[in-house]
Amino acid sequence: MSSEQETILQFAPWESFVSPTFWHKLAELKLDHDRLSDTKRSITGHYTNRNANGCLLEVDYTAYNRSSQPPKFSHSASGTIYNKNTIEEFKALDKLQLLADEGKELLADMCSGRVLADPSLLTRFFVLSFADLKCHSYYYWFAFPCPLTPTLKQQGVVQKLRDLPNANRYVEALKTLPSESQNFFILYANAEQQVYEARKLSTLAEGEVEHYYFGFTDPSEYEHPAWLMRNYAAFLLQQCPSFVGKTLRFLGLRYNQQMQMDDSRIWQVTQTEACDLKQSGEVKYVGWELNKNAKMGPRLAQMRDSMDPAKLAENSVNLNLKLMKWRLVPDLNLEVIAQTKCLLFGAGTLGCAVARNLLSWGFKHITLLDNGKVGFSNPVRQNLYTHADAVAGNRMKATTAAERLREINPSAETAGHVLEIPMPGHTIGESLFAQTEEHLLVIEQQVRDHDVIFLLTDSRESRWLPTLLGAANQKVVINAALGFDSYLVMRHGSTREEAGDAGQEIEGLKCIRGSQLGCYFCNDVTAPGNSLKDRTLDQQCTVTRPGVSNIAASYAVELLVALLQHPRRELAPAYYAQSARGKSEEEAAGKVPEGLLGILPHSIRGMLCNYENILPATQKFAQCIACSSAVLEAYRKEGHAFLFKTFETAKYLEDLTGISEFKRLNSEIIDFDDEEFDMSEEDED
Amino acid sequence: MGDMSWKDFLTQAKQFLDISQQLGDSWMLQEKDSNEPNTFLKFSQKIKSKSGELINVEYHVVYSVSYQVPMLFFQAHRSDGSLLDIDATWHCFMPESKAGDLYQILTQMDHPVLFKPFMALHPCRTAEVLKQFGQPSNNQVLTFISLYGPQVQLNLQNAYGLSSQSSYT
Repeated sequence: MSSEQETILQFAPWESFVSPTFWHKLAELKLDHDRLSDTKRSITGHYTNRNANGCLLEVDYTAYNRSSQPPKFSHSASGTIYNKNTIEEFKALDKLQLLADEGKELLADMCSGRVLADPSLLTRFFVLSFADLKCHSYYYWFAFPCPLTPTLKQQGVVQKLRDLPNANRYVEALKTLPSESQNFFILYANAEQQVYEARKLSTLAEGEVEHYYFGFTDPSEYEHPAWLMRNYAAFLLQQCPSFVGKTLRFLGLRYNQQMQMDDSRIWQVTQTEACDLKQSGEVKYVGWELNKNAKMGPRLAQMRDSMDPAKLAENSVNLNLKLMKWRLVPDLNLEVIAQTKCLLFGAGTLGCAVARNLLSWGFKHITLLDNGKVGFSNPVRQNLYTHADAVAGNRMKATTAAERLREINPSAETAGHVLEIPMPGHTIGESLFAQTEEHLLVIEQQVRDHDVIFLLTDSRESRWLPTLLGAANQKVVINAALGFDSYLVMRHGSTREEAGDAGQEIEGLKCIRGSQLGCYFCNDVTAPGNSLKDRTLDQQCTVTRPGVSNIAASYAVELLVALLQHPRRELAPAYYAQSARGKSEEEAAGKVPEGLLGILPHSIRGMLCNYENILPATQKFAQCIACSSAVLEAYRKEGHAFLFKTFETAKYLEDLTGISEFKRLNSEIIDFDDEEFDMSEEDED
Repeated sequence: MGDMSWKDFLTQAKQFLDISQQLGDSWMLQEKDSNEPNTFLKFSQKIKSKSGELINVEYHVVYSVSYQVPMLFFQAHRSDGSLLDIDATWHCFMPESKAGDLYQILTQMDHPVLFKPFMALHPCRTAEVLKQFGQPSNNQVLTFISLYGPQVQLNLQNAYGLSSQSSYT
């Protein structure tokens, strides 16, 4: 044989393939059994040569069983797991020493003849691991120890079984071999005597080598034989020193899906240098698996997604939203929803319903402000509370609601603050001054920390401060208010100044730019006084048809989502039909430009009595008592001093904005048509 | 026609297992107990993801009590044991074109026997699809697997078709 045809035989390294159940079982054993003990534990792995992928050594939960049958078409490999208690021990452990210790045991098995009786000892492996059970992270490193012996030179080309003369005789012989003996075996082929036999490895006889094919189950899908042949050859040369210098034929048994073995490979190799493994002090070992970056180092399995119940819930919660995105609205931006922080003024009927709708849409950050306790009448309408909360007598709505939201979705980040929202015209006594000051600071901080403000309180005047703060801090403001059988949901005009399109001119439609839209107070010509003062008792608490709050809360959240999906967000223009009532108005309404989720109105006013909505859009009012520049300027300059003046008397606001003058004038001229404005009275929950 | 009883499912699942064993395939029958629907067919294989990463997919053919049809559940994991979440599964199996049926049926549901979240092909149209096979097939479980499996790279050998004809007609 000429030297050009001799190449050094290379092996396909093992690739570890771990089933999630292997980690589940390890966690269970660590928690219930091993606890602080970190003694090594015997495990078994398995590998297959049927339709092989890569060169896999697999482990699953059965690895820890005392005696485990390998799965069908697979063979067992014997291993050990060294599970350390801390990441420091895992890192600090002397890896070379561990590999050498394991290698020595492999050598002992080879030299003692135990391998001859149980060849599966040749497929030895071990795992060094650290299980971080809190984070469900598993650091691990597989090794497949192998003594570093002189190289094997390959002679000639690699042959396939089907290309051998008398291939069918070989195949027939191999078929007689029981599958459990196929991991390592001898194929005896004597063409002169017409003898073809598959024999157990234990029948090994040194003198018959020219008739031998050293057979093994070869899990490699590559041209190269699997790593385990390396130990096999080392063992054979140790067992039969006369093999040194002789041509040895190895048969890597490989099955396809249909269990045909035609593609099995034959390598002819020689080892020219002698080597006595019994001098084990001098033997070096190799076999640590490379990590995913092809570097010497451990791997990390992040199992949180499948092992942490909170994470499981989070993933399931997002499922509906993702299906919506994948199937119906591919451009839906779920990220922006998950990142938007919502501040809810009021944790009553509207607050609870809005919060739950926010959770449904995948909002994660929800903060509620409210000063009330859960009362006996609340739980039936306010869907985050129960009777027990009322019985307890001291459960505050804001904090209870925040807690319930986390019970519903543990991955939500919620908070509740119990505080009074100061209101214009609600005089603050000396004794409450310090507390009001403190609450104001909290409210201002919360507004700055959030992106969206929901106004969901039960009175008109309690909406004034949040409206002002929303405008002053350029936040998105969504407002919902209820009447007995009517509701108003609106987005406040933005105070953000940004160049951009002014909206399309469309025939029959009037367009108002987002920065020119009004707020809740822009349509009013009085400053908010004490609206609870002159009401009968039944008007002070919520007297609405129960469906109204759910409808309004749903619209409020859907309006926000539509707004967040609009490229111009709160600066998106709103349109309303200009022409008189009738057909042309309906026609015009059909032309309103649509965003990702349809049109984006300024406000939705609806009635339950006739099941109708109308979508008015209104301009900013230059003398608005909540969002006009005079008010924003005064707040910016004087801060709390200005606020306290308005709390003292609402008249102050009317004078500041010039509305007093305006009101006197207007009351003489304007005569409202009842029919036109039959829904202007909604107030409050 | 199209839907089937639990008994039919069980009988046909066992027939299918017989065929699999005759063909040297590695399907298994997992029996939790004898109650409906606690027996299902199981199969696993390695496939290469679009990025070339080797992943293991375990398929379960489970009886859907509410739809009265077989249902395909599956779960895929990487070599380190981490599961493919719905996003990764979606990217792994979804064809480039959106015309594929998979867009309408791939979802995540709780496994009716194991009570764990699994990927699933939704059963809402299975009965209708099975019914369209004019001539009622000899083994609807086999028909189901051969129709729905290829959507998620579960391809039966052609021999299954021959085998079911010769054995059961």
